[in-house]
Amino acid sequence: MNRLLERIAPVGFGVAVLAAWQCAVWATGTPKYVVPGPWDIVTAYAASSGELNAALLSTLTVTFAALAAAAFLGVVLAVAMAASVLLRAAIQPWAVALQVTPLVAIAPLIILWVNQAFAALVICATIISFFPILANTAAGLAQTPAALLDLFKLNGASRWQTLLLLRLPSAVPNFLTGLRISGTLALVGAVVAEFVAGSGGFASGLAYRILEAGYRLEIPKMFAAMVLLALAGVAIYAALGGLEYLVLRRRER
Amino acid sequence: MIEIAGVSKVFDNGTVALEGISATIAAGEFLALLGPSGCGKSTLLRLLAGLETPTAGAITWAQGRPKAGEIGFVFQDATLLPWASALENVALPLKLLGRPRAPAREAAAAALAQVGLSEFLTAKPAALSGGMKMRVSIARALVAKPKILLMDEPFAALDEFTRQSLQEDLRNLWRRTGLTVVFVTHSTYEAAFLASRVLVMSPRPGKIAADFASTVTGEADRRDAPSYTAFVAEMSRRLRGVMPAREVLA
Amino acid sequence: MNRLVRIATALAACVLAAPAARAADKVTFGLDWVAEPEYGGYYQALATGIYKKYGLDVSIVEGGPQVNNAELLVAGKLTFDITSNSFLALNFVQQQIPFVAVMAGFQKDPDILMAHPGVGTDDFAELKGKPIAVSDDTRASWWLYLKAKYGYSDSQLKPYGFSLAPFFTDPTDVQEAYVTSEPYLVQQQTGKKPVVMMISDAGFDGYASLVATSEKLVTTDPDLVKRFVEASILGWYSFLYGDPSPAFAAILKANPDMTPGLLHYGYNALKTRGIVDSGDARRLGIGAMTDARWQKFFDQMAATGLYDKSMDYQAGYTLQFVDQGFGKPKQ
Repeated sequence: MNRLLERIAPVGFGVAVLAAWQCAVWATGTPKYVVPGPWDIVTAYAASSGELNAALLSTLTVTFAALAAAAFLGVVLAVAMAASVLLRAAIQPWAVALQVTPLVAIAPLIILWVNQAFAALVICATIISFFPILANTAAGLAQTPAALLDLFKLNGASRWQTLLLLRLPSAVPNFLTGLRISGTLALVGAVVAEFVAGSGGFASGLAYRILEAGYRLEIPKMFAAMVLLALAGVAIYAALGGLEYLVLRRRER
Repeated sequence: MIEIAGVSKVFDNGTVALEGISATIAAGEFLALLGPSGCGKSTLLRLLAGLETPTAGAITWAQGRPKAGEIGFVFQDATLLPWASALENVALPLKLLGRPRAPAREAAAAALAQVGLSEFLTAKPAALSGGMKMRVSIARALVAKPKILLMDEPFAALDEFTRQSLQEDLRNLWRRTGLTVVFVTHSTYEAAFLASRVLVMSPRPGKIAADFASTVTGEADRRDAPSYTAFVAEMSRRLRGVMPAREVLA
Repeated sequence: MNRLVRIATALAACVLAAPAARAADKVTFGLDWVAEPEYGGYYQALATGIYKKYGLDVSIVEGGPQVNNAELLVAGKLTFDITSNSFLALNFVQQQIPFVAVMAGFQKDPDILMAHPGVGTDDFAELKGKPIAVSDDTRASWWLYLKAKYGYSDSQLKPYGFSLAPFFTDPTDVQEAYVTSEPYLVQQQTGKKPVVMMISDAGFDGYASLVATSEKLVTTDPDLVKRFVEASILGWYSFLYGDPSPAFAAILKANPDMTPGLLHYGYNALKTRGIVDSGDARRLGIGAMTDARWQKFFDQMAATGLYDKSMDYQAGYTLQFVDQGFGKPKQ
């Protein structure tokens, strides 16, 4: 009984908040072009569901492309940094600098240089999201148990063998943690990049729909797009968490 | 088999782990390195394994430096790959040596049989108890038919009953195979039960304080033998002699 | 003699008392871009004290890239704002938002598409299928008209970064601009005049730079709206025919990226092209709007399918504050 209560608690809480929101909007007579109630948002979504779903798909495509690129880049750099103290010293400060540079500043420059909308958005989103994967995987590689490293050495393992058979598999749990964090960052990156740089040519994503609805004063539609974005973020986080759970379970059973 | 001559080891931070160690290890003997913590016994083991190099002196092998896979090492923690089955873990040294897959798996299965784990070939480490994991670790150390087996306090983390059971299995294994074993321990009981020769080491810096053959006789009921108790007492006496003087609490 | 003195004293008392009788109304006014000569009239009214004389304490809130002052207006955070064009003003009607346009700052829309000469992009028809860069808010307004009229599609759209850099580096670049500003910058940088395509020439012939406010304010305090409109008209009059330097100083202060060269170019372009004071403004005064012209605009848009013909477009504007010959331009 308690487990059941635990499961439905977030849903129950959500329903209560939505009901309170709708009542507040009714009671204060707030017009829907200032703050729409949940019902207005739902109807706005239903009216433009085709367009909003296509926008969601577009944003998700950029997000997943960026996540894949971030995973590749993060792992490659982590391996490079683990292999050589010189490479580590060379790469580390640049990785950190790239991470803290505000995307709003560099996104327009990237759009200018790359000149292809999809690629530019993916690059922006990758820049924001690769660092957690890099940092976590590097930590995992560094934490490879010393005794196992000795064992490999005693059995004459080559550096490749040690990397592929010991270090990388050993770092998989850390990598998955980094991936989970990076998933939502990639979504944020895709949205910010689109906001800042504008999109065109490639099918518009949710960020553009939010802006467009704002300019056209279609406020309930704007909120509907934002809700979709939030749901997408939650779904990505849950999916990556689920992936982490499944992989780790299979690993050790 | 191995000649250790005037070996010293100083670490980068200035700690003198070993100073002027000299000894000869004969083939087929079960040598215990016994001493309190900080006496450098694990360091000496690692020097023998080639995982560290001496700062001074030399370690010479009569039949030439062992190649990859000719030294079996058992660590204090079983250190198995958590994502691999017992069979895959035991086969690992052979895989690293580039041996073909099928014979490697057969050899691994045989090694696991030797330590009594034939029923657990596909089990992953999470499903095994501490004692079982240690057996897998020992099987792994033996699978490539090493010339020498080095063991660094392998049973220290296990409970008394498991420890005694493993000690018996290890002694039987040694008697059957005649393998050379160097075994690090801080337990006089363990040294008395297992070893044919004991090196007592003193700490800070690590030196050999005593070197003598075991006087324990008998195999069956070995722990009940009077010679066992006497030998334990003798080693305890030697150990007390090398322990740092204890400060009296004021 | 005593009577004269008493009348004079009474008059003096009235004159002295009048200004102190009521405090200035606080008004916030949002622009749809950063400070530039295209808002000269409003900055002139502020800098020369016209708003103050009309009892208005006006704060001008600049717009800019990614800034959407329309949202602030409908949320009640701005008293007035600039609605960029007639199309956007009719959004109020479409979304059933109770806001109206009260004056038309520009009789002509200065939006253009700007291109390089001699690469086959010299008029609107030739641009079909070619890459074009417009901003997000343009995509929500006159881009839709061009799409409908010339058969453009969204796949031609390139990101618009509010920067001329792509125009300088890529000879096929086509981007949106204002006729009063970018052509000057292009000529400065490259020495060549760019191809200029005015959207009003393409038939997008609505008003531009309209001032909008809430229906509520129009009903509850029409006097405030009237004062703001009249003071703004006077500001434009003074800016265009008097000495514009107070406005120039205010604009340069508000927007450090503005240069005197661009300021003067824009000012001259506004005057020579009659952006503010041509057409109906000559008869009816600056800020003029007519039912006839609104109808023509609506019919054009409805014909291209952008609006439902039954939409009550007249709900988007009111003529009660303009067309009284106030601020008639000098002939």
